Amino acid sequence: MNLRGNEPLRERLASEYVLGTLRGGARRRFETLMQDDAALRRTTREWNERLGAMAEFAPPVAPDKRVWRAIEARLRWQAAVPRWQFWRHGSLALWRTLGLASSALAALLLVTVLFERPDSARMSDIASLLDAQQRPALVVTADRTRGVMTVKVVADVPLTSEQALQLWAVPRAGKPRSLGVLGANRELTLPLPANAIGADVALLAVSLEPKGGSANPDGPSGPILYKGGWVRLI
Amino acid sequence: MNTSAAHADPAQLRAWLQGAARRDRMAFRALYDASAPRLYGLALRILGRRELAEEVLQESFVAIWHHAVDYESALSAPMTWMTAIVRNRAFDVLRRRRSEGEDDAIDSDALASLADLAATPPERLQMSSDAQALADCMAALEARHREVVGMAFFHDLSYNDVANQLTLPLGTVKTWIRRSLARLHACLSARGVA
Repeated sequence: MNLRGNEPLRERLASEYVLGTLRGGARRRFETLMQDDAALRRTTREWNERLGAMAEFAPPVAPDKRVWRAIEARLRWQAAVPRWQFWRHGSLALWRTLGLASSALAALLLVTVLFERPDSARMSDIASLLDAQQRPALVVTADRTRGVMTVKVVADVPLTSEQALQLWAVPRAGKPRSLGVLGANRELTLPLPANAIGADVALLAVSLEPKGGSANPDGPSGPILYKGGWVRLI
Repeated sequence: MNTSAAHADPAQLRAWLQGAARRDRMAFRALYDASAPRLYGLALRILGRRELAEEVLQESFVAIWHHAVDYESALSAPMTWMTAIVRNRAFDVLRRRRSEGEDDAIDSDALASLADLAATPPERLQMSSDAQALADCMAALEARHREVVGMAFFHDLSYNDVANQLTLPLGTVKTWIRRSLARLHACLSARGVA
């Protein structure tokens, strides 16, 4: 294809290159031609300025603060956030790649210790939530038949009167779902929402929050203190 | 939305970008604060999902920090340069999802809002003068022609993809887009925009 002197064709190809509709071999040939043709590079740059302004037609949206924190972490500008505070890493992939085997095993061990009572047969799901040192802190059980879940605090969790713990169901993809807020009580029975036991829920997590829970309905505002795999028993 | 953040002065952005090239973290932070809402809005428009758009924004700014030294040779406006980085990365994610069969069809609401926006955009005042000129020139196109140009720009679609989406003959789509691009060129030149 001879482009020299064919101004309309040069403009057309440059505009299609920037818009993205110039594809495959034609796109690669155009890139090769640009290498030896400063005027063609300039024409393409001009189209980039013209059409690039279309990006402004998308309304601006303020990104969440965690994006900047994640950028700082990627550039290693700040002391690394402790690994167990996975919510603060900003890397969403971490939500999906947490190893669950060890916490599932711990849950099964605990179940025999804590729930050896006649009604344990109705327990359908269990999670043992561990702290950063892998020590059990909370046990959550669900009874699908009755539609309730029970949260039991099994470790010493020092909370001020202004603090609360919030329980989250964490799906493999998408936003965590709040299941409830625990104040000073060490045992709590909550209704069991269907989205807490969906097949996509990979684990449960507890975050430290101000009294009343996270102001953000889409996720924790404080650090994740405990987490564990959500295991279906029956 | 603060209008100064939405539409920052190119000379100021350029100074911050040069600061970032000298490894000035404060300048980079100022650049982020001034440009992130625009760039995030773009990523969100392309990908439609918050968590994907956040990942793209994060990766883009890491790339902007590492490549700020190359910016001078790019010879383009700071926002154009950063927009191209975000758009390319968002398209990478879009292609990956499409190849995994995870991407859904084009969001028709997004297309409708694009059509409205080019005609009488409420966000006009937040736009740069270049974008306002482009919006005016796009408003002068026929609505369906504007739609196919917007689809190609925001959704990384080939002529074939656009034709399939709109169930139009391939030749018609090619003609519409090429004619629209030529008209935009003439319109913008007449208005004295580069």
